[in-house]
Amino acid sequence: MRKGAADNYRKGTAIARHREWRGWRDTVYDYGQWCRLWGTLIRWLFSHLIQNVKAIFRYRWMFSYLTVPSFFDRLCFGLRGAALRAARNNLNYLARDVTRTLTTIFSADLHLHPGSKKAEALNRRILCFDELLPALLGKGFPNCKTILFQEYPMYLPSLINQHSPVHYISQSELYGLPADVCPLPSFEAGLAIEDDFPKIGCCMLSSNMPCDGSIMTSMIQERRIGLPTQPLNVPLRWKRGEVQDYAVAEILSAIAFLEEHSGERFDWDALRDACEIWNEQNKAKFEKWELNRTAIPPHTGASAWLYRIFEHQAVCGEREALENDRRVNALLREQVAAGICPKTIRHRAVVWNTPANNYANFNNWLLECWGIDSVCEMIDIHGTGLIDTSSRESMLRGVAEMIETSTMRAHTKGGSELMLDDLWEKYEAYHADMILMFDQISCKGVGAISGLFEEGARQRGIRMCTVRQDLMDPTSITRREMRNDVNVFMQTVVNETPLDPSLVDFDDDESW
Amino acid sequence: MKDLKYIHFFEDLLEQADNELVRQERESGGVAVGYSCYYLPEALLNCGKAFSVRLRAPNTGSLDISQYYMTSFICGYTRALFERAFEGGMNFLDFYASSDTCQQMVRVVENIRELELISNPRFSWGIIDAPLKLTPHGLRLYVEQIRGHILQPLAERCGVDVSDAAIRAAVEEHNEMCAIFEQIAALRREDNPRVTPREFHILSLVSYACPTARILPYLRETLDELLVRERDASDRWRARVIVVGSELDDYAFTEILENCRCYVAADRYCFGSIPGRQRIPLREDADALEQVCRWYLETNQCPRFMSQEKILQRRELVSELAKEYRADGVLYEQAKFCDFWGYERTLNTQVMREEYGLPTLGIDREYVVRGSGQLATRIQAFMESLEIKKLQGGGEDA
Repeated sequence: MRKGAADNYRKGTAIARHREWRGWRDTVYDYGQWCRLWGTLIRWLFSHLIQNVKAIFRYRWMFSYLTVPSFFDRLCFGLRGAALRAARNNLNYLARDVTRTLTTIFSADLHLHPGSKKAEALNRRILCFDELLPALLGKGFPNCKTILFQEYPMYLPSLINQHSPVHYISQSELYGLPADVCPLPSFEAGLAIEDDFPKIGCCMLSSNMPCDGSIMTSMIQERRIGLPTQPLNVPLRWKRGEVQDYAVAEILSAIAFLEEHSGERFDWDALRDACEIWNEQNKAKFEKWELNRTAIPPHTGASAWLYRIFEHQAVCGEREALENDRRVNALLREQVAAGICPKTIRHRAVVWNTPANNYANFNNWLLECWGIDSVCEMIDIHGTGLIDTSSRESMLRGVAEMIETSTMRAHTKGGSELMLDDLWEKYEAYHADMILMFDQISCKGVGAISGLFEEGARQRGIRMCTVRQDLMDPTSITRREMRNDVNVFMQTVVNETPLDPSLVDFDDDESW
Repeated sequence: MKDLKYIHFFEDLLEQADNELVRQERESGGVAVGYSCYYLPEALLNCGKAFSVRLRAPNTGSLDISQYYMTSFICGYTRALFERAFEGGMNFLDFYASSDTCQQMVRVVENIRELELISNPRFSWGIIDAPLKLTPHGLRLYVEQIRGHILQPLAERCGVDVSDAAIRAAVEEHNEMCAIFEQIAALRREDNPRVTPREFHILSLVSYACPTARILPYLRETLDELLVRERDASDRWRARVIVVGSELDDYAFTEILENCRCYVAADRYCFGSIPGRQRIPLREDADALEQVCRWYLETNQCPRFMSQEKILQRRELVSELAKEYRADGVLYEQAKFCDFWGYERTLNTQVMREEYGLPTLGIDREYVVRGSGQLATRIQAFMESLEIKKLQGGGEDA
């Protein structure tokens, strides 16, 4: 009997006993990239050895970063050809950028360097932004570093290690927060309550994004962190033309606030340069989407959407990211032109609603187990407008729109019709034959229109599989339960047999 | 104390959203405007022939249909509104004024729109985008949104007069009602007060759920009655509290408190009188719409306001109310699954206790609370703790 992928897993953790065999070329490539990742991590560790070791012991979430090689392997599970190369390029770029930022964070962190004049001086050059605010605005302060405050202690660890949010969510609940709130703001509140945010920056630009829970968690964070804070109020009905004046006024007010606390003048030319780079990054993404509409979708899954989120939020306007995009697109184009599809694709799925951070490699499992390729994902689609850099006014409007259509928010805010209509549109555009709908149980904004999705799919005769998840809380819904929702649907509704039966049911609760 | 003359009539009015006075007003050509949030300035929804009805779903039973459409993790109030609309209980509405402030709330009107639940040919809706902090450009946005998405559609589709003069007339009538409430509220500061918490909650609810012009005569008469009402011989209240929190339109909640001999000295919750039943000052030399909008933004106590000055304002207001109404403690209540009040309750339960020295209890509750023994037990325990503090000398150790 042919061995399945799960036969290589250790019981309970689903960690592979040995590296995946992908054929000679791909295996050697993958191994080489894996070694490069280790090189990046080792270089980072030894660049500031004492500081980094202190950080690992000071912050519980830092432990998650030690498991990054395994995380990247999970995201590359099953990939071949251009998809593998694109994934490794994206992920290794991400590793390089994150390690650089962690160095800045820990060098300035007053928890690690109490009373340090050097750290204080560095902090005067650090602007903290809410993680959902794209760092593009910060490019207007070229002498400062913009850090997405919750991105490194919260968002990335929640993807890397499924257990990382559990402790912090528990802390929030012990503090009195209801257990039904979204785990994302609850995780953030837990970090603030535990004083586990690095003590950095000269000021904080918070925001009302993406949801009601995020608005409220900023109240707890502001209280505990103690930085001068200004909320950037981003309009909710962002499709309306008349709210754009307000959005621009808010950005101008934020710039004045940042100028006041950093002591720097806003550099409009620097912002223009960054916007132009961002436009190119966006165009590269448009091309990727177009390629995924073909019969050979060359790159799908978390290594694509996670990179997109990171690019939109943290490295927008960064030339190095653009170069990575161009490199990746060349690989993807080549594969599509050659007409090579290295995987068995039975179904083309549009994946809607926010994915589960605690199961980032869910797409890989879908493809390997059932041949379901996630050709289009809602989380991948945001900030799609190009910024007109011809004048300050037009540039501000473009930046405002980019912020308004930030990760998740592009669909979950602005009216239910945005999330509904775009789904049916994407279903057609990507020639899909099924929808995979995440039922993120604590997301009230989407939950409150769940019936409309059901009705819409039924009226259109579209097959829709609902998968329950709780964003980043594996104690509510486990990975195994998520898989089971798909298994039951595929076996009982679609009447199919799996491509790899070993992957239908396995235990990975103890996995990172 | 002797029952108030109209209290049973008021109770009957609260038995359904489409009550007797609402029907009378519609029959005489009124335009029924439903709304569910303080962000929609009530006074403006009463311009010309329009009249506001703050939406409730009394006698809510099963929520099975809303569970399918909205899941079971959504606040009971919004689900109940949806269920009522689905059942046909909101067909009397001519306009639904909503705000994208609480996402669960705005999803009600979006579901109603998508599923075409209101069987009324005149029915339409408007949704505003409102700011989360007080700034001059925020006020501009708010005014434009109210004008463009509420007043203009009311004028164009329902023929409502929304001129400056009509706004001033609506505010005048609103202020008349508020003046009555200010006097009734003042009675709550007395020892052995002449108005019970349950009565006050009912009065407050009918004032929101009925056309102002039609409820005013009854309120006037009730005030006169209260001013000369004979008190009971002894003060039966064990402690006085302020209730702070989310949407609360079920006076059974206040009954539970009353049964525990807990006096609600001030009601700082949605559907309560603070804010909402204070007169709006209007100057003659400035635009009425802008003045009204400014008033509603400045007095708004919604926890979604995330700027520091509004966060502090909310706490300061509770502290001032505690002094003004001589409250012994604060009760933060939160509708289950309400994200805003979930966080506000959690944090302020601790802040009010530790920084303001006010004994504070935080609870979450369902939309329908009638017969909740668990709630009664918690209130009783809180009452006991307040009594003990009084015996110990004023609660310094709170």
